Amino acid sequence: MPDFDGGHYFFTAVVPVCNRGIVEHEGMKSSPIHMVREALETLPTALQSHASEKVGIQSPFARSTRTHFARFVILDQPYYNGRDHQDAILATIEGTDLLKAQPHDRLACPYLLVMIDFDPADRSGAGEPRAYLEHLWEVMEEELKAVFGYCYGFPQVHGATGFADFLIGCQIETTMPFNDYWTGPPPLKSLSKGLLLAVLAVAAAVGGFVTWKGHLHWWLAILLILLLLIVGILIDYWLIMSRGAKPFPASGATLPRVLKALYLQQAFARFAADRQGADPAGTGAAFRAFLRENQPRDLAEPTQKPGVIRTFFPGAAA
Amino acid sequence: MSAALDLADIQGGILRAYGRQGFPKARYFFLTIRDPAKGRAFVEALRPKITTAARWKNPKRGDPLLRTLKPRVKDVVRAEGVPDYPGEVELMKPKVAINIAFTFMGLAALGVPTRTLRGMPDEFIDGMEKRAPLLGDDLWLDRRDAVWRNSSGETQVHILVSFNAEMNPDGTPTDDLETETRRLRDLCARSEGGVVLLSGNGAGDPDFQQLSAILRDEDGNLTPTNKEHFGLSDGFGDPVFLGQFSGEAERLRVAGGGKILPDQSWAPLATGEFLLGHADEAQEIPGAAMPIEFSRNGTFMAYRKLAEDVGAFDAYIGEQAARYARQFGVSVEEASETVRAKLVGRWSDGVPLTAAPTYAAHEAFNAELAAAQAAKDKAKLAAMALQFTNFNYREDPDGRVCPVSSHLRRGNPRDMLDPHFSDPPADWDGSALVNRRRILRRGLPYGPYLPGADGGGTERGIVFIAICSSLFRQFEFVQQQWVQYGLDFNVGSDTCPIVGNHVAEEGAAPEGKMMIAADPKDSNGRLFLCDRMPQFVEPRGGDYFFVPSMTALRMIETGIVDPT
Repeated sequence: MPDFDGGHYFFTAVVPVCNRGIVEHEGMKSSPIHMVREALETLPTALQSHASEKVGIQSPFARSTRTHFARFVILDQPYYNGRDHQDAILATIEGTDLLKAQPHDRLACPYLLVMIDFDPADRSGAGEPRAYLEHLWEVMEEELKAVFGYCYGFPQVHGATGFADFLIGCQIETTMPFNDYWTGPPPLKSLSKGLLLAVLAVAAAVGGFVTWKGHLHWWLAILLILLLLIVGILIDYWLIMSRGAKPFPASGATLPRVLKALYLQQAFARFAADRQGADPAGTGAAFRAFLRENQPRDLAEPTQKPGVIRTFFPGAAA
Repeated sequence: MSAALDLADIQGGILRAYGRQGFPKARYFFLTIRDPAKGRAFVEALRPKITTAARWKNPKRGDPLLRTLKPRVKDVVRAEGVPDYPGEVELMKPKVAINIAFTFMGLAALGVPTRTLRGMPDEFIDGMEKRAPLLGDDLWLDRRDAVWRNSSGETQVHILVSFNAEMNPDGTPTDDLETETRRLRDLCARSEGGVVLLSGNGAGDPDFQQLSAILRDEDGNLTPTNKEHFGLSDGFGDPVFLGQFSGEAERLRVAGGGKILPDQSWAPLATGEFLLGHADEAQEIPGAAMPIEFSRNGTFMAYRKLAEDVGAFDAYIGEQAARYARQFGVSVEEASETVRAKLVGRWSDGVPLTAAPTYAAHEAFNAELAAAQAAKDKAKLAAMALQFTNFNYREDPDGRVCPVSSHLRRGNPRDMLDPHFSDPPADWDGSALVNRRRILRRGLPYGPYLPGADGGGTERGIVFIAICSSLFRQFEFVQQQWVQYGLDFNVGSDTCPIVGNHVAEEGAAPEGKMMIAADPKDSNGRLFLCDRMPQFVEPRGGDYFFVPSMTALRMIETGIVDPT
């Protein structure tokens, strides 16, 4: 699965945190990862619940109209699930000593897992994720410094380009992008079972033809056909895997379009409620006024602000 | 082969709703324990009086299918001459059914060991007040009855004792109710402060919650009905689980009450969805407090007192009906009945929209019913009785007949949430996503029935009781996701039009909204949008209770719960 999928870029990075020494702050002495946690815990979330609406402090990610979703996770250590399972009889035969501890994986330092889904600057995805990361630095440099300040290599970061270099260096492939804007299945053609079977049939037929023409021994014929079938299976495997690696088609759902759609949905619900039972003769004029007021084609204005759950507040109804 | 339940070990009121079993009058008492030993002695004294699920004989049973206005499925079973209830008859029906349940703090106050207590689920330990933001109750905490507002420290609710009583023909409860009340008070007095009856159940702060079915006056002869204060008929569709009914009764009841299998046939839900210690719909015996005999045959119960604003409801329906009548060119009477039915999913007499999609169809349905009743045509009545519960939403995916956001579809979406709903029949999953979200609904109305009147500030409502083996997975999920939210039904943040929150905070502008999809028979195909809906129902408090089996009750009272 590619990083660029469905017209969106799904960025994933694991950034090592230098958790050595102590940080003195506000009369306290804390470990560096403690500081990272504190920075993340105090980073405001978007105003998308009644509770956060009351708080009123907006997420810095809402300063960008390209961010769909951002998530940070601290990976302290991989979970240790105990000894590897072994069949009791096999263990006895092999003489496994259960008192001898098995090695288990540990991380040398904590890691910060960064996952951001964003709109590419160019629809083809060219120049990403660099362009977005540089843009992010422009809109939330202070917050990024607080979050990444204790990461290896961050003290050497200067400016937007440096930040992009730093984070791209830690990027890993996104193996499971989440295409939330495809509410139904996208228009993808499935690989036909007929084609896959035809490849095998051709392989077998070629083997049969060569056997017939070359008057091969029966054992040689079986070997040849088996060999060709294996080649056929490999071709099928390649067909399936290359089809799977194809990116999802773009849904066209850039954040400005999503926000405009949410805005229009709310505005139109109000319009529909207000027009109920009104004289149908006036509907055309009213709808033209609605279009003038709400400019459905204009993504810039009026629209829903990023990072909020609604445009129309109670009292304004609908 | 139906699973045989240990009926004499299960408390009454779980398998069947008392209100429907001839107990239309009730008193619910809340008590606090101030001394563990005296608390256990109180439970010990009460235990012999506890009504179990054992089958009894009712000497006053009427003629099935003809004795009520609307025939019910249980009448169909009785008319076929087969027993509805499982087990053998060994008891006579009591005049007053007495039951007991405990809050988490109540179990702790009775000295139940820590190891047993820590096996209790989080939401039960939290109690209903702490769960308020999840339930949508947080807007109304200050408006709760005193017994709930003050439920902490010395006045924490620990025990619920319920008395469900028979009724005299004049509408008053049987005298035995007062006798049992006196005995309960004596028992508290004898505990010398060890067990205290709490007051504060509504206006005048009485020390019990009084409940009564709404009565119908037929020439001075009062009979209980299944109406609530909004004038709606309630409590038709209740889950049917394995062991709850005898064989033939189960076959009839399960259609509409059980779960829908992928082949579209009906089957009873697993017993473990409603009783602990039994296999559930995940094909496992769910985790429960240890020892298992402490939990088995017990269950959990959410008790909620819900005040109904009859004035606001009637005014809103009136307003919408006037608009509906103008828009669709029908009489105000038809508009009023239709809007009400669309919000609820049933006509006010309980006939589901799926059985009678339009006002005319509803009138025809009732005319047919009346004719069958007059002719004493039991076969016809039986067939019509089944239509009250036996339906699914396969033919109505968009809610054009029964709106997807109606109270009925939200409470039990049946096959509607099947992820393969629109796929070919071979892929259908039936009600698989709903089977673990079912609740047994119990309870009765409170307050005087004053239809069409604002009641002069007299509070009315219902005590809603949900019984299930996981309050979190069943009751709380239904309340949070299906009542207070609408995403599963593709209606965004719209809440239940009847019991959902319609304001962002107390006193805020009404913002409840519901779309009534266009009637396919309407050539103009016009939908009807109900908006600016005010709050109709406000919670007045309640709590989560553990309803122990008789075995667990003995263990609690003797103090010999051994979790090791």
